[in-house]
Amino acid sequence: MNGDGHPLLDIKNLVKDFGGLRAVNNVSLRIREGEIRGLIGPNGSGKTTMINLITGIYKIDHGTIYFSGDRIDGLQPNVIAGKGVMRTFQISRIFRDMTVLENMMVPALTQDQNMAEAKALAEELIEFGLLTRLKNEPAKNLSGGQNMLLQLVRGFMNKKLRLYLLDEPFAGVHQVIKGVILRTIKKMNEEKGITFIVVSHELTTIQYLCHQISVLHRGEIISQGTMEEVANDPQVIDAYLGG
Amino acid sequence: MLKGLGLILLLSIAVILPFFLKDYWVYSLTITLYYVVMAVAWNLLGGYTGQFSLSHHTFAVIGSYTSALLIIKTGIPLWMGMVSSWMFNVLISVLLGILCLRMRGIYLALTTWAFAEIVKTYIRMDFEFTGGDRGLKAPLFFKTMDPVPYYYLFLALAVITIIVIAVIMRSRIGYYLRAIRNDEVAAQAMGVNTVRWKVFAFMAASVIASVAGTFYGHFTGLISPVSGEFYEMALIIIFVVIGGMRSQSGPVVGAVSVRFLAEVLKKWPEVRMVILAALVILIMRFFNGGLMEFLRQGYQRVRQRKGAQPVSAYQETDKTNAMLEKK
Amino acid sequence: MQFLISGIVLGVLYCLMSLGVNFIYGIMKVINWAMGEFFMIGAYVQYLLIVFFLGVRYWYIGVFIAALCTFLLGAFVQKILIKPMFVGIIEEKTEYATIVTIAMAILFRNLAILIGGPYIYTPPDYAPPTHLGPLPLSGNNFIAFIGTIVILAFFFYFLKKTWLGKAFQAVSQNRTGVLTAGIDVLKFDMIAFGIGTALAGAGGALLAPVLLVHPLCGVIPTVRGFEIIVIGGLGSIPGVFIAGLSLGIAESLGAAFINPSFIDIYGFGLLMLILLIKPYGLFGKPERSV
Repeated sequence: MNGDGHPLLDIKNLVKDFGGLRAVNNVSLRIREGEIRGLIGPNGSGKTTMINLITGIYKIDHGTIYFSGDRIDGLQPNVIAGKGVMRTFQISRIFRDMTVLENMMVPALTQDQNMAEAKALAEELIEFGLLTRLKNEPAKNLSGGQNMLLQLVRGFMNKKLRLYLLDEPFAGVHQVIKGVILRTIKKMNEEKGITFIVVSHELTTIQYLCHQISVLHRGEIISQGTMEEVANDPQVIDAYLGG
Repeated sequence: MLKGLGLILLLSIAVILPFFLKDYWVYSLTITLYYVVMAVAWNLLGGYTGQFSLSHHTFAVIGSYTSALLIIKTGIPLWMGMVSSWMFNVLISVLLGILCLRMRGIYLALTTWAFAEIVKTYIRMDFEFTGGDRGLKAPLFFKTMDPVPYYYLFLALAVITIIVIAVIMRSRIGYYLRAIRNDEVAAQAMGVNTVRWKVFAFMAASVIASVAGTFYGHFTGLISPVSGEFYEMALIIIFVVIGGMRSQSGPVVGAVSVRFLAEVLKKWPEVRMVILAALVILIMRFFNGGLMEFLRQGYQRVRQRKGAQPVSAYQETDKTNAMLEKK
Repeated sequence: MQFLISGIVLGVLYCLMSLGVNFIYGIMKVINWAMGEFFMIGAYVQYLLIVFFLGVRYWYIGVFIAALCTFLLGAFVQKILIKPMFVGIIEEKTEYATIVTIAMAILFRNLAILIGGPYIYTPPDYAPPTHLGPLPLSGNNFIAFIGTIVILAFFFYFLKKTWLGKAFQAVSQNRTGVLTAGIDVLKFDMIAFGIGTALAGAGGALLAPVLLVHPLCGVIPTVRGFEIIVIGGLGSIPGVFIAGLSLGIAESLGAAFINPSFIDIYGFGLLMLILLIKPYGLFGKPERSV
């Protein structure tokens, strides 16, 4: 819990419509600092939309989002990032024509770090992400798994990082790289206290990684708890099988 | 080290050139230097930031007309007219930049194109005020028709512009602009204030264009709406594409070499344009980085033959995978 | 009242010009800045056919052949220039397409000057002057109007009723989705581009006696075409009609009351205003980007 007992991320009655389609229907969610929360649900249940709403890429239609006591709904994405909320994208969005090192520098530079400091931190994290040899390679030459690694460690360049939203970080990724990603998440969570929300379809991985899991279906949270609780929830079973 | 010496050498040559050339060539080179400024500035906006604006030439035109009209109609001194014109252009470019913020690719091109056409059409239509198709006589900057002082003026402008753009691109702003071009959404997610920096790029490029345009007007002495034609914009794009978008020297090399080619083929203007257009198409299709890319690849091939092995991306990928396997 | 009618006539003609651009954009998300030049090529072909081969009486065959020529040229251009955009080689797609099609426009325009000379050719009139209600109409305008209506009717029928047309609609809505339906999207791209340029070529052929045949006769259609697609929304076919008609009527009415030279500015001003309020045009829709 945060010092004063408030959750780090407090979402209340969130609603998002796309024309006639209600993608997020009255969702409330609370994430404590230091948690690793899993967000699962069948395809099209609104998981990515949730991330986009939290990070400011989509405008909410109704409800509020509070991050560490500050209201962040309605803010520009770069302002939200500045407050310490970073994310990865399901389909890798790295800066293709910039080198791996340059990709890393961007988040730090926006935080007003000077170039030399940013470069040092970048090299450290690149090493951490096992991408050292590719440091000066244009990011477009990276393989799928390396892409995801880059996205992941790039977020850590934000020194103010407190909440990290990962959208399908394991999708289509080589088993070994998956291991690196898992270890990185655990390490950053345990050593630096960074809170994670992990969206994924890989239930065993989520079970291993996450403290709590929220289940999203048709834009609504239908269940929340540990993996055992959630897996035995008839509503969840229905959602996955019924679809 | 070598690069620095090369640049100094080039600059020295440029400085002493007028002593060896006839007036006509000095005049022609001055115009080339004007285009160098325009090309380098557009590259910042269209090349590096990815905002494909089609109204770059329009700011040069607005600059020259505003300055000349102010001076002629109100009698203020030359420098005041010019500076006022620049300030006016800052305002317009910021407005246009904000207007275009929400627009992606195609729509940006269409909007800026429409803006360019509006300005050009207005100048032609309001001929009582602007002189219309007959043009406007502008007071000369140096009270002489000798092109030599203008040559040095534009050389200075070109050097300053190149340095300014280089400094910007090397700074953190350069990172932001390139990130915006690569992926605007991701840039925002990484904390880049895309709104601010897109408008900045717009303003910077347009103001430089207007400065160049004002000086150009007071150099040629005759301003006409022909400078606002789409043809001028196409020329700038041709310079940058052929030289190499998104490189520091590309626009310079492009402007100089294409202008040279244009001079050589002066007697056959249509053949000239056919060749240039075909070149642009070929380069876009095969050699996206223009002349500079062509040279760079050639240089790498020479190095390879001499034994220096370029690092292959795939070799590194394999090595990384091997490393991961061991863990 | 007569201004209204002439406005409708004008509007319909404008629709044809922008339909091609819109159609191509709907399928490939690419704006072809050289459409005006295909219009011009259509006009030249028509002129040659009428003057040297067919004679004025068979102008409609000329239009058909001109459209065929521009179709083939368009498909060819698409194959060597545009297709690589979609086969993964080219990175910056919009930028590439814009630069390449602008260069094409310059290329064609100057080739026209080189081959045909910087002259204005006047094809013979298609028909003697007639009346449309109370409005005196030149035979050419009348033919162009009827011809355009016919082409538009055919096009609409094709789009809505034939299998091919429906397939094109599908491609414009979901490029990747149609792959699962077994549609060779790349081939469709080529045909779509060809159809778009054919429309422009047909327009050029129809309007040859009206706008006259010269290297720059494609410029005005380009301008009008773009105004329409912005107002009507890129990719929206009904938008084209509404925008085309309203622009025609506005221009016709406006010409009666305001200095015609300022019409252009109002057209562009309207264009910018609309883009400011609705960055995707009046009827266009934003695409999901995240």
